[in-house]
Amino acid sequence: MKEFNEAEIKKDLKIDAHALGIPIGAAEIFIDRTLKDAKKTLKNKSIITEKDLERAITKELKKYHADLAYVYQNRDTII
Amino acid sequence: MLILAFLQLAPGVFALTYHYALGKYSKNKASSLTLFFIIGVEVISTCLFLSTFFLISIIFFAGFKPETSVTTWILAGILIALGFLAFFHYFRPGSGTKLFIPAKYTKGLKYSAKTIKTKSDAFVLGVLSSVSEFVYTFPLFIVVSAEIMYLGLQDIPVNIFALLFVLAPLLPLFVIHYKFQAGYSLADIIKSRNKNKFFTRFILGLNYLIIAIIILCFRTIIL
Repeated sequence: MKEFNEAEIKKDLKIDAHALGIPIGAAEIFIDRTLKDAKKTLKNKSIITEKDLERAITKELKKYHADLAYVYQNRDTII
Repeated sequence: MLILAFLQLAPGVFALTYHYALGKYSKNKASSLTLFFIIGVEVISTCLFLSTFFLISIIFFAGFKPETSVTTWILAGILIALGFLAFFHYFRPGSGTKLFIPAKYTKGLKYSAKTIKTKSDAFVLGVLSSVSEFVYTFPLFIVVSAEIMYLGLQDIPVNIFALLFVLAPLLPLFVIHYKFQAGYSLADIIKSRNKNKFFTRFILGLNYLIIAIIILCFRTIIL
């Protein structure tokens, strides 16, 4: 079992956002909203897999920035 | 050369390194860090190639020239196996361009790409990612070294071939570097890698098979 580390996800997303040229302030706002909404979506689930978490975050991120959502979704499939 | 330019591990790690460097540092620092990654790849590629060339030249000058030897068949066999391996098992099944290398090792490379801080980190990461492809490059180095030895005997400027050969792995890295400089993002690079996945496998597989067939048909290799 793995613990869901919100701070780490937030930090990674901020780095990705900065690399994609998204202004830090805007990125911080929508990343916070994304994580909040993703948590809401997963609230009723008793077991949450890493894939569930990834799907929920990707789905929410897509609303704000499609490229950031794509990078987040594919971050483990590059090499 | 085409094979070296089509191998995917070093370009993948390079793209990740550039992306994370851009995420943490300024554009200039990211550019200079990744330049050291490129230098690392070039230095180790040259060292590995020259070491192989040195070994082959020792064998060559020892007078071992069985043109229809077992070694030629073994080498051709390895190249054919690599051709099939590249076509069927270069990428892991499923979406994305995950490569068939140990998961722990991949994790390590990703972690290093993410936590890169200094130029020496970038240099070492370039070296590591290039060494990881040695399984695919070593048989090629042997073939090319032997061919260069053979051509050298006929007074052809072999240094140019050798130089082109050691510069080939840099081509994809410079393309990615240029893409990042031109404003493309990691998302664009992932998309283009996914789009050309089959083409990469096809070119790699086909090239290994062609080299194997050339060796078997012409037996010009002198080992």
